[in-house]
Amino acid sequence: MKAPDFSYYEAETLSDAIKFKSQDDEAIILAGGQSLLPALNMRLSSPSCLIDISKLKDLNDIRLEDNSIYIGALATHTQVMESSIIIEKFPSLVSILKMVAHAAIRNKGTHGGSISYGDPAAELPAFAVAMNAEIIVSGLNGNRSIAAEDFYLGLFETDIKSDEILIGINYPLVKNNEKIVFEEICRRHGDYAMAGLIAKVKTYQSTIEKLKLVFFATGDRPNVTSKTSEIVVNNGYEYSVIKKSLSSEIDFAGDLNSSEEMKLHLATILISKILKKLEN
Amino acid sequence: MSAKKNITVSFELNGEKFDNVIVPARQHLADYLRGEGFTGTHLGCEQGACGACTIEMDGKAVRSCLVLASQVNGSLIKTVEGFDDDIMKIVKNNFLKHNAFQCGFCSPGMLMTTKEIVLKKKKLTREEIRSEISGNYCRCTGYQSIVDAIEESITEVI
Ligand SMILES: Cc1cc2nc3c(=O)[nH]c(=O)nc-3n(C[C@H](O)[C@H](O)[C@H](O)COP(=O)(O)OP(=O)(O)OC[C@H]3O[C@@H](n4cnc5c(N)ncnc54)[C@H](O)[C@@H]3O)c2cc1C
Ligand code: FES
Ligand code: FES
Repeated sequence: MKAPDFSYYEAETLSDAIKFKSQDDEAIILAGGQSLLPALNMRLSSPSCLIDISKLKDLNDIRLEDNSIYIGALATHTQVMESSIIIEKFPSLVSILKMVAHAAIRNKGTHGGSISYGDPAAELPAFAVAMNAEIIVSGLNGNRSIAAEDFYLGLFETDIKSDEILIGINYPLVKNNEKIVFEEICRRHGDYAMAGLIAKVKTYQSTIEKLKLVFFATGDRPNVTSKTSEIVVNNGYEYSVIKKSLSSEIDFAGDLNSSEEMKLHLATILISKILKKLEN
Repeated sequence: MSAKKNITVSFELNGEKFDNVIVPARQHLADYLRGEGFTGTHLGCEQGACGACTIEMDGKAVRSCLVLASQVNGSLIKTVEGFDDDIMKIVKNNFLKHNAFQCGFCSPGMLMTTKEIVLKKKKLTREEIRSEISGNYCRCTGYQSIVDAIEESITEVI
């Protein structure tokens, strides 16, 4: 299908974009367009105007800071995957991004776009939550930083206010005794997952000391399951016990490819896959 | 600071300069290109899934159904009609040699994606090649011949 009628505004500065957005409730930010344009072509959205921020300068840098890595909102998935800082310090993010869409889409889709869209099936929101990332937004009253876990409020719903634009994400560095492990199940490479899991694991002499589990494509937002993590750390993996615990912790939502019951099963299996990966 | 329904853009398409072209804000690039006669760019899904509309913009493969014509100001655009470089010659010859098309609907997008794969000059297993082209649907060939053509193109450029 074809997109509905809208007008187009190419922002020259961040403050222009913020001003424009604050004055028109129905105007919407256009970054890489790789989620927004499909939604427009399918007529799932009918904004008054697209505020194109894709040509703003200085919003796509990737830098190593004292204890963190900063990724600017407009860094494309390809740029992140090819960054020497990310390859060295965050190899797990490179392997996660390999599962995000296809090369031609990663060439345009942005890190900040994926984080702001808040698609519950997307990998990056879950990664940001697993990493305890800080999300930085800029608005009429200056900048504000939000913990990733508080950023996602519901289905495609985030804490970005009507005058705000996401400008970057700050990820704490992974420590020597920490590991990021990732697994997802999907029918075709590059498709959105039927269920996925990102785990941050702290080990001590090869036993798991602390475990943070964040699921995606399971509910209406990235799902953190702290009770289940505790059970795994203390008692190990037992399919029926874990399944019961997950069903009480996640409000599963089915989609076209998989029912709630199937997602619950897949989520349970994902934990065993992650544990196997850790053993190796 | 004003939003417009018709946007004026200047860009280069297949080596030719297009100056001060007026495009509707809502028009995607694939529709613009096809309207100008560059009908090698095909439209299957208009949601990024099939890959038939893949073109090159500023040196990178992109989906022309997911770029607005109003966004191309200052860009270098190449469609399947505009390639005569050595890498594309190798790729095209191998597609012919292995009969890697039947109806041809997917071919422009496949060629564009293949070019980007081949440019990396990295040996890939057949399984890896399949992952790399997972964003391009072919409803005819069953992919075997396409994988053959890509495999041989990679070997030739390394
Ligand atoms: C076929 C296909 C398969 C895909 N598969 C996957 C997948 O497996 N996993 C996955 O995670 N993603 C997938 N994607 C989506 C892709 O990763 C997108 O690039 C990403 O979700 C959105 O980034 P964008 O820059 O394109 O955002 P846009 O499409 O430009 O914007 C998306 C939304 O976020 C808002 N927005 C964007 N940037 C900002 C900002 N800086 N501040 C405030 N609001 C902003 C926009 O207003 C819009 O509502 C797929 C896309 C396609 C077309
Ligand atoms: S038409 Fe653009 S990807 Fe299918
Ligand atoms: S040759 Fe017909 S779709 Fe590929």
